[in-house]
Amino acid sequence: MTYMDIFNSGLMYVLVIIGIVSILAFSVFTLVRSYRRGLALGISKTVMKDTVKSSAVYSLVPSIAIIIGMFTLSTVIGIPWSWFRLSVVGSVVYELMAADMVATGAGFESIGALANANVPELVGPVMFVMSMCIMGGLVTVLIFGKAIQTNLAKFRKKNGPWGILATSSISLAMIVVFLPIQVSKGAVYVGVLLTSALVAFLHKIVIKKLGWSWLGNFIMADSLILGMASSLIWVKLFS
Amino acid sequence: MKYENATHLIGRIGVIIGIAFMFGIPVIICSVNHIWPSLMDVIQAGSGLLLLFLPYTITEVFSYTPMLGSSAYITFLTGNVINLKLPCAISAMSKAGVSEGSDEGDVVATVAVATSAVITTILITLGVLLLVPLQPLLSTPAIQTATRYMLPSIFGALFLGMLNESCGDYVAKGKLKSIILPIVLVTVIHLFIYPLAGKEGFAILVAMPVILGCAYFLYKKGFIKMIPVEKKSS
Repeated sequence: MTYMDIFNSGLMYVLVIIGIVSILAFSVFTLVRSYRRGLALGISKTVMKDTVKSSAVYSLVPSIAIIIGMFTLSTVIGIPWSWFRLSVVGSVVYELMAADMVATGAGFESIGALANANVPELVGPVMFVMSMCIMGGLVTVLIFGKAIQTNLAKFRKKNGPWGILATSSISLAMIVVFLPIQVSKGAVYVGVLLTSALVAFLHKIVIKKLGWSWLGNFIMADSLILGMASSLIWVKLFS
Repeated sequence: MKYENATHLIGRIGVIIGIAFMFGIPVIICSVNHIWPSLMDVIQAGSGLLLLFLPYTITEVFSYTPMLGSSAYITFLTGNVINLKLPCAISAMSKAGVSEGSDEGDVVATVAVATSAVITTILITLGVLLLVPLQPLLSTPAIQTATRYMLPSIFGALFLGMLNESCGDYVAKGKLKSIILPIVLVTVIHLFIYPLAGKEGFAILVAMPVILGCAYFLYKKGFIKMIPVEKKSS
């Protein structure tokens, strides 16, 4: 069997399907368990349902972007392994880098050249390197995940209003770091960012004025789609 | 067993299952096809990438777990942290009016991330099934351009939603003052001293204590005031 034959083999499909079904089952179990816990904590059914709805709707567009990445990846490591890699841990950029490093290390110009050469002996290195090099995060969360969360909860309980202020300020680090970096990338990025913010702002006004609370589930999804679509205009204007 | 302990145990089991598949599939494929690589080949090919990604992946956990809570397990297991899971969790907590670090925030974040993981897995599977008919449509230049600008598009709406003073049971009047100095510092460092693009995980790890320091100072000096939310009587 050649490199691509192995990557697109029936066995590979079977193993990947078992893997993905297991992770999917874990996700569904986690979802049901936390949903019930939310209700037990006194969070209203409406809030819990809205969380599910808005998260589901919001996830549609980024998932399409992942599918687009899968097309690229499938040309060099076949369909099933790309499918698995992008469903568990991975990202397109990382997977391509990992595969490319194995290819160049083996004397090929790129992973594309390796795929064309169809050398079956390099299937193993490509798969192992992809799995091995991304492990840092999983092992770290395995060891430190509990300690980080329990210490944060203890700090919050111990320090009264200051503890609450501190823990609720943590996510502001996202704005502090990502905003200047995105803005510095150029006018198109600023245009897209502002369009997305404007769409979200307009949604909030409509919700407030007309009382359409259901629209709240679509804020992130609509802003994402219209922000991305606006990039076509900004690119024409600024590039 | 307490709910919190059981949550961490289940999360860890999920991560171990994920790791088992990540390595189990290559092991079976190599064994069946008699193509076992030498250990040296794998180490040689992967050591550079490992050194490149190890600090980044470890830092990501310390940077994002305080925001994600126990949903960190499923987040890191299913990947796409920055472009999907983290915005999903933060946006859900903000919309539900609960704060990170609280039991309620943890539950809402987990529901959001788990929903997102389920939807993404299903959609990628559909993408595999419809690979042939979808490819021409999704390969158009317009779609390719639009997907390149996904991150600023996510952050525009997300950041607007985060710019509020809600802290669950309290309203923190003046809370946003705590990001002024850090944002100026990051901008100056990024533009004039050291480009931070691609190193956001490290930058967040450093930015967090700076924000907390500013918040503490402003809180002690009375520039940030914590006002309890009056519960509506039913």
